[in-house]
Amino acid sequence: MNLKFQNKKITGILTVLPENEINFEDEIENYNFSSSQSMKLKLVMGYNKRRVVNAGTTCSDLCVFGMNYLFDNKLLDKETIDALILVTQSPDHFMPPTSNIIQGKLDLKQDMICLDINQGCSGYIVGLNQAFMLLEQEEINKVVLLNADVLSSKVSKKDRNSNPLIGDGASITIIEKDVENNIIYGNIKMDGRGADALMIPAGGFKMPSTNETAELKEDKAGNLRSLDHLVMKGDEVFNFVQKEVPPMIESLLEKANFDKDNVDFYMFHQPNKFMLNKIADKIGIPHSKLPSNIVENFGNASGISIPTVITHNLGKDLTQNSYQICMAGFGVGLTWASLLIKLEKLDFCELINYK
Amino acid sequence: MDNFQSTIAELLEVDDVTMTDELTSFECWDSLTILSIIAYTSDEFNVTLSTDEINNSETIGGLKSLIESKM
Repeated sequence: MNLKFQNKKITGILTVLPENEINFEDEIENYNFSSSQSMKLKLVMGYNKRRVVNAGTTCSDLCVFGMNYLFDNKLLDKETIDALILVTQSPDHFMPPTSNIIQGKLDLKQDMICLDINQGCSGYIVGLNQAFMLLEQEEINKVVLLNADVLSSKVSKKDRNSNPLIGDGASITIIEKDVENNIIYGNIKMDGRGADALMIPAGGFKMPSTNETAELKEDKAGNLRSLDHLVMKGDEVFNFVQKEVPPMIESLLEKANFDKDNVDFYMFHQPNKFMLNKIADKIGIPHSKLPSNIVENFGNASGISIPTVITHNLGKDLTQNSYQICMAGFGVGLTWASLLIKLEKLDFCELINYK
Repeated sequence: MDNFQSTIAELLEVDDVTMTDELTSFECWDSLTILSIIAYTSDEFNVTLSTDEINNSETIGGLKSLIESKM
C-alpha cells in the first residue's frame, strides 16, 4: 500500500542503549558448533559486540530515562506532548499499555493519546506512519514515538541462530507539524501467512508458559531452545527479505519520482552485515550509502535499529545538515515498509547510555 | 597479500595450505566457508567475489590470482 504525508517533519532522534556489553567470542562455547565455524559466521555476519539490559530493566525504564534526559537538557517540553506511541514486542505487562505506564511515570498531561503498537523490525516505519496520521488532528501538534525492546532474555543462550545478534534498546523520535510542504512518501505491506517465521511460541494466551514449554530442545541444526524462546526461521526470513525489499525500494522511488543516486543514505533495519550488503547490491547502490555497522557494535534491537543506524552514523552532523533519507524495515509479521523523507537540521540526534 | 595463505588456511580449518591444493578437497568446503572468503576479500582487499568465481578458481593459487586480478 502506497502512503503519502504532507506538512510533517521529524525534529529529533535519541537512542538509549543499555550499558551491558557482550562479546561474541565470549559466547562461542555455548554453541554446538566448532569455534572456527563460529569465527566464520562472525566474519560474514559482522557479529562482534552487542548491548543488552541487566535482568529487571524494562522498556518503560529505558524510555523514561531517555525522556528525562530530553526534559533535563531542554530538548523537549513536557507540556507540548499531545501523543505518545510506544512500539514494542516486550511490554512491561500484558495490561495496562506500557505507554500509559510511561505517561504516568513522567507525569504527563491527561489531555493526550497513549498508544501501544505490537511491531518489531518494521516498527519504526509503522510508528512513524501512525504519528503522521495522528498529526492530521487539529489539536495534535507534537507526537513522541518510542521504540523499545528488551528481547535478549527471550533468546536462548544456546541458539546460534539468534543469540549472537540480539540486542536491547530504546529510541525516542519527535514528530511535528511542518509549515513547509515537503512530501513524505511511504509504502507498507504485510503477510500474516509468514507469522511463524519469527515468533515466541509460548507465554501468551494461546500457549501459557509451563514447565514443559521451558524445556530446552535441540533443532535440526544443533541449536537448543524452548517454546518460551524466540525462534527465527533464518533461511525463510533471508529469502523473504531478498525477494521483497529491493522491489519495495524501487517502487517507492518510482512513486516519488526520485533517482536512487540522489538519496543520501539508505538507513535500513539491521539484521546482519551480509544481508544488508546483498540488498545494497540488488538495489544497485554503493555499500557506503547503506550503513551496516549496527549489529557489530550494538546488536539488532528490532524496531530500534533504524534510529540507531541514524544516530550512530550521522549524529550531530544531522543537527547542522539536511539529508534525503530512505528508510526500510522488514521482518516479524511478516511486515515490510519503507519511507522516503528529508531529515532537516534536527534539534538533536544522539546516542546515550542507560544508567 | 602477506597474510593471504595463513588466513585462507584458517578459514579452511587446516594448519597450512599450498597453492596447488584444490578447493573442493577440503573437508569443510561448504557455503559458509565460501561466504567467509567473500567477506574476507571484501574487508581486506576491497574485492567483491561471487560464489561462482570462487568455485571456478579451483585451487588456492587460482583464488589468489582471481583476487589479484580484481585489485
